[in-house]
Order: sequence, then structure tokens, then C-alpha cells
Amino acid sequence: MEISDENFRVWTENTEVYFDGIFRLAGPDAYAPIHSMIVGLLHEGHKQVTFNLTGLEFLNSSGINLLAKLTIEARKMGELQLIVKGTNQYPWQAKSLPNLKKLHPLLDLRLA
Amino acid sequence: MMDRISLKRSIKLGSFRAKFILVVGGAVLFDLLVSGGLALWNVQRLSRDATLEVGQGLEAASQDYIRTYADSTAAQVSLLLRQVHNDVGTLAGVLQAQIDDPERNLDVGAAIARTSPDSVRLVYDQKGNWSQNVPGSVSVVSVWGYLLKPDHSPRPDVEADIQTSAVLDLVAPSLLQHGSSKLQMYYIGSKERPIFRTAPYTDQAQTFDRLYPGHNDANFWNFFFPGLYESWQSWAANMNSRPVADDITQTAPYTDAITGKLIVSFFHPLWTADRRDVAGAAGADITLDQLAETVENVKVAQSGFGFLAMSDGNVVAINRTGEETLGLRSASDTSGTGVTGLERSLKGSSQPEIAKMALDREQGIQHLLLERNGQKVPYIVIVKKLPATNLWSSGPVRQEAMSLVLAVPEREIDASLYAAQAKISEATNRIVLYQILAIAMSLAIVTIAVLAASKRITSGISALANAARRIQTKDYSVRVAIASKDEVGEAGEAFNRMAEEISFHTENLEQLVEERTAQIEDAKEEISTLNAQLQRENRRLGTELAVAERIQLMVLPLHQELDELQALEIAAYMRPAEEVGGDYYDVLKSGNRLKIGIGDVAGHGLESGVLMLMVQSVARALQEAGNVDAVKFLTDLNSALFKNIVRTKIDKHLTLAFLDYDGKEMILSGQHEEVIVIRTNGEIERIDTMDLGIPIGLQADISQFIRTRRIAFEQGDLILLHTDGVTEAENDAGELFGIDRLCVEALRTKNESADKVVSEIVAALMHFIGSQKIHDDITLLAVRHR
Repeated sequence: MEISDENFRVWTENTEVYFDGIFRLAGPDAYAPIHSMIVGLLHEGHKQVTFNLTGLEFLNSSGINLLAKLTIEARKMGELQLIVKGTNQYPWQAKSLPNLKKLHPLLDLRLA
Repeated sequence: MMDRISLKRSIKLGSFRAKFILVVGGAVLFDLLVSGGLALWNVQRLSRDATLEVGQGLEAASQDYIRTYADSTAAQVSLLLRQVHNDVGTLAGVLQAQIDDPERNLDVGAAIARTSPDSVRLVYDQKGNWSQNVPGSVSVVSVWGYLLKPDHSPRPDVEADIQTSAVLDLVAPSLLQHGSSKLQMYYIGSKERPIFRTAPYTDQAQTFDRLYPGHNDANFWNFFFPGLYESWQSWAANMNSRPVADDITQTAPYTDAITGKLIVSFFHPLWTADRRDVAGAAGADITLDQLAETVENVKVAQSGFGFLAMSDGNVVAINRTGEETLGLRSASDTSGTGVTGLERSLKGSSQPEIAKMALDREQGIQHLLLERNGQKVPYIVIVKKLPATNLWSSGPVRQEAMSLVLAVPEREIDASLYAAQAKISEATNRIVLYQILAIAMSLAIVTIAVLAASKRITSGISALANAARRIQTKDYSVRVAIASKDEVGEAGEAFNRMAEEISFHTENLEQLVEERTAQIEDAKEEISTLNAQLQRENRRLGTELAVAERIQLMVLPLHQELDELQALEIAAYMRPAEEVGGDYYDVLKSGNRLKIGIGDVAGHGLESGVLMLMVQSVARALQEAGNVDAVKFLTDLNSALFKNIVRTKIDKHLTLAFLDYDGKEMILSGQHEEVIVIRTNGEIERIDTMDLGIPIGLQADISQFIRTRRIAFEQGDLILLHTDGVTEAENDAGELFGIDRLCVEALRTKNESADKVVSEIVAALMHFIGSQKIHDDITLLAVRHR
């Protein structure tokens, strides 16, 4: 599964979701296909799912809202272990990703 | 259906095929002609060179051969003459020795007279008036009437001579037998007693009488060889006066009185013992045949011949072929001057070129044209002078060098050359013929090939052209069948598809027009609908954005409100982006408490504006309800917003922070951008708000995440609040304005009024942005402690 544009690319490999590039999509409607793709993965019954954001240079506030919703979705699943891999290389990640941990304390946030 | 073009159909000039044939054929023809021409030219040149080379070689060889032949023939003739000279010399030597020793001479003469009486015993002939010994002796001795006494016996001095001359009987037979082939050898006495003794024995005097009547009435020497004796006498006086330093004297050919044959005589004068006078002569005759034999044997090629000639052109020896070829006429010289000479001069030759020859001058090889059977035939003639000799020919003795001449028809001597040339020429002609045949064959093959190939290559194109013509005449049923798997084949296929389409389109044109018209009408209607929709949508969007912008701006605090504040000096700036973000700021006053809020709704458009409006309304309501606990304030606000978000399905959240001021303390709560505090001493404090809350509208209860923080806020201190529209504004280079630049600008303007601070920072920000698009709402608040 893959959704891409000239500036970004999001795709899944097994239970890992990769975000790459710059996301400046205009609002929730624009992010809906990505949302449904990843929600689909979350409901496939895996023990754990990883969001790999190490290649994600920029994410606008609507994108952050998407990540928050996906985190809340994962939190509802109970059994599912969600891992979020981020990087301190991009300041927005250090600033915004801890909020996901607040929304879902069992989330394994790995900022490297 | 394919229009078949028959091969028999003539190739039209100007057609592609004709041009193709012309180009290819022309190229090949040119190539063939050039290469063929070159080959022919080379063969011809080779043949010419070979002929020349062979010709020169053979000519040189032939000339060398003729020269050698002439040399060897001349050597043979010289050898023959030398032999005769030697024999004569030997005989003369014996006789001279006898003369020089008179005593022995007499003794030997007496002895021979005793042993061979027939040699000296004479019989007088009444009729001829001469005496001669009888046959049976080795030699004949004739004594002429004027040497006899009246009793017909010889004079005493003559008698002595008859006896002494008999010594010839001892020498001559062996010389005749062993030396060169000679007719006869003889002794002739001096002018005083010219007896004539000759070996072998013949009827000598009788022959003389028959051939030379009257010879007996004159002195022998004067009659037969006038001038000869006197020449010798002058030699006796001065040996240096001899024309050639040799005693041997040769006569010109003449008719021999004894044998009647044409002969040449070789005399050797005998001298008196004191060498002051002539004492007779020893002699030998050879027939011309003998001399001629040598030259007659000359046989060069088929009709080559040789001849011996005197310097005056008189031919001494020649064979029949030569005589006929030269057209010589023999004439006996009957002028009465001595012996009958033979006149067979080249000057009388019927060949003008021969008649002109001057033998005493010419040497070496000449090319002459001789007539044979009415045709001019080129001859190679070589003249070779023999060693000079003393010659008598009526008159004083003179020097004479005979010439040996060889004449060979050039055609015969060059026969091998001609054969070689003929062979070369034949070979050349054969090669040329083969070459021409090869060229012709190649041309034929190429022509056939070009015609065939051109047919193959161009038949497709012709078919296409024909079919195209038929299409022109509106016959759309035409199709081509081109088998070749090349571009022409592809063109054929494409043509067929086109023809099919054309025919289909033509046949279905009306229907098609109707269908198309209907389609166009449908499309037009659709377009109109879409257009209307678009217009509506545009209007809606435009309206929506305008509404959103109005909502956003309409709830902002009025300038007047801010100016009325006592404790704090507050200036604010907000600039919505083109698409209208959801920036929020507010200053809520309730009694002596102030609540300053700043926030940012995710996304753009009307919904963001509506959400922001809700936030403002809820915040105002909570403030009015006397809610002073910052944590509870945010928790309640979130709770209300969350429920409204669920209801309105506005799938958005926002960051939101508040500053609570009660005149003494400044309390910060909620998660938003960093808060910048600039102290009067120039210190800058950046306060991170991440741990003070969580975005609003993500979950129902956020109480556990809210924290508060007290900010020291003294007189003159300046607090800057901003949304990410400020820090994430981009310039042309794609750089972000960033918090650091914001701090630098704030520090630069820290002593200004709050209004000035805001306007200066905004001016710097706008300068930074330049012509770049403003992505997000820009909101900036400056709060100064009065």
C-alpha cells in the first residue's frame, strides 16, 4: 500500500508505516485516504504497529491532528502495541510527538 | 483488393521505380565502366609495354645475332683468304729461297729433270706457236713462242728457268692437297722469260689460245696483267710504296684461261736475289665458287643471304637467292685490258637502295627497303669490311678492302619478335574480349537484378500510390497487400487502416455527424452545468472565505478595549492568510483580572473560523461565570469544545494557551508556541509550553495534562505571544523566519511602546517574507508591564 505526491510518500511494509517528505495537505478531507489506509492496518490484528517518521521533514497541524487521531484509534485497540519512531533532526517532531504519548501513555515513542 | 501491376507494364519515366533504376543502374554502370575501362586501359598498356620490352630485347638480340653472324662469316672469309695467302706464301718462299741460292737452284732443277723428265721436256705446238710438256707430269709448263729459238727450242735462260721452276712439283701438290681448296698453283717467270708452270697439269696453252686469242703475240705480263708487274717493280725500289704492307696481290675476279672458271688469283711477287727487281711470281687461283661458298652458306632465317663485294661495288661472291634479290646482272668485261673481268656491280642492281650503297664508306647495320614481287620489303643489311689487301684490277695495284654484306628481311629476323608480339596481342585481345564479355555479363546481371529488385522494392510504393489515387477518386474500398516486412509494409498496413477509417467515416459520416452533434450538445450541457457548478462553487468558496475572514476578525478585541487597560500595555496584530487559518487571540477583562489567550486551530477555512469563534465564546462564558482556576478553565473549555467538535464533525483541534494576570502575578497555562519574555536589562527568557497542556479537542478530558507556570513580570518587562504563522513564515530561499530572528527583533525594539514593537517586528517579518506566499495566519501580541 502506498500513497504519494510529488512532495511526500506514505507506504506500509508489513506492520510498519513509513512517512516521507513534506506534508502540507489542506485539512482532514485531504488526509482521509491516508487515515483510512493506516486505520485498516491497525485493525488487521497485529501485535504491534510502527509509525516510522524518521523521514518526515514537515507535518502541518492537520497532519498532526491525523497522527493524534490514529494514536487515539490505537489506544482504543488495547492489545495493540504502537511504536512511533521519530528524529530530533526535525524540531517539530521533538515539539509535537510527546503529545501522542500524552494521548496514549502505552505508546512507545522513540525519538532518536 | 490490390491493384496488381504486371511486369510487362512499361516503366514510366519520372516514376519512383524509374528513378530508382536510374540511380542504382547508373551507379553500377558507372562503376563497371570505370573499373572495366581501367582494366582495359591497364591491359592495353601492359601489352604495349610488354611488346615494347620484348621488341627491344628481341631486336637487340637479332641485331647482335646478325652482327655476330657477319663477324663470323667475315672471319671465315678472312681465314680462307689467309689460308690461300699462306699457301701462296709457302710456294713463294720455296721459290724465293731457290732464287736466292742460284747454285742449289740449278742442282735441284737438274735433279728433277733427271728424275721427272716429263716435267721439263717440251713439245712444240705448231698451231699455237708455243711449247708445252706432255700430260702425265705433276705440273704443266707453257713456254710462249717469243721465248723460243727459231728451232722452237727454248732460249738457254728460259731452259734454265724451266728446270729450276720444276721445284714447284715438289711443293705445289702437297699444298694443293692439304692447304685451302685451290684450283691451281703456278709459277710465272720474270718479264724477260714469263714461262708459265702450273700444278696440276691441264691443257693450259690450248685454253689460253681459245679464250685469249693473240696472247702469244704479246708479253704475258703486259697482255694479262697490265700494270701489275710495274707496280711490283716500284715496290722493289721502295717497299713502303706497297698500298698494304704485304707482298700478296690479289686480282679482281676474271675468267680463268685454263679452266674457264671465274677465279680470283693471288700473286706473290718473287724478287731477284739482290731485291732490286722482280724475278717472277708465285700464284694460286681459287674459284669464285670457293669464295662464294662461304658466303653462299650464309643463311640467315629463310631468305637472308650474304655477298662479298669490292669497294667499287663489284660483287665477288653471292648465292643465287642474293643475286635474284639484288637483281644483279653479270657482264663480262671485254674491254681488252688484261684478263676478262667480271662486272657484277651493285651499281647495276635493280634495287635503287642497293645501287646507292657506297660500300667503301658504310659499316654496321642499315635498314633498307628492297622490292620483292612488287612489294617493298624492309631488310636489315650489315656491312662488314674485310682486312685490306693489295688488289690489281687493270692498272697499278691499289689497296682494296672487300666488304662482306649480309641482308635479311626484317620480318624474318624479327620473326620471333613478331611471333611474340602476335602472342601478346592475341593474349591482349583475348583479355579485352573477356573483360568486355565480363562487363556485358555484369551489366546484364545487374540490369536484371536492378529491374527485379526495383520491382520488389517499388511495387509496394507503386501499389500505395495507385491505391492513394483511387482513394482520391473516392473509391474507399481499395486496400493494398504488401508482403514486405519493412517500412513500406508498415506504410501499407497504416494505409489500410486509414482507408478503412476513411471508408468507415465516409460511410458513417452522417450518422457520425448526428452522433457527434448529440455528443457535443450533451457535452455542452454538461459544460454549462459544470460551469454553473463551478461558478456556484467559486462563489460559495469565495463567500465562505470572506465569511471566515469576517468571523475571525469580528471577534477580536477592539483597539479601544486594549487602550483602556490600566495595568498592561497590549498591542496585537493579526493577518489572516489567503485561505484563512484559525488563529485566535483575545483579551478578556473581568474586574481587575485579565485573561489573555492565544491559539491556533489546525487547518483553514470556515470551519477553523467557526471553531475559533466557539473557543472565544466558551472562553468569554467561562470568564464571565467567574472561573479563576486556570487548569479548570482549560479543562472545561476543552470539554465544551470536544462535545461540539463531535457534534459538528469538525475534525479539527487547536493549540491554546492563556496568560492570567491579577495585577500582581502572571500565570501561564496550556500548550502553544513558546512565550518570549524580554526583561528591561535585555535578558531574554523563552518559556516552553509543551508540558503545560495538550491540544484542545482531541479528547474529552484533559485535566491531567494541564499545568500552570508563574512568570516573573516586573515593570518594563515585555511578553511576546505569537502563532506559528510568524516563526514558520518562509522567504524566497525557503528559510523559515524562526524563533531566533523573532527574539533578535524583539530585543531590538524592547524599549519601544508595545504598538511600536509589534509594528516593527511585523515590518521586519514582511521584509523577510518578500514576495513569498503567506501560508498561515500571522498573529503577534506584545504585552508590557506599565
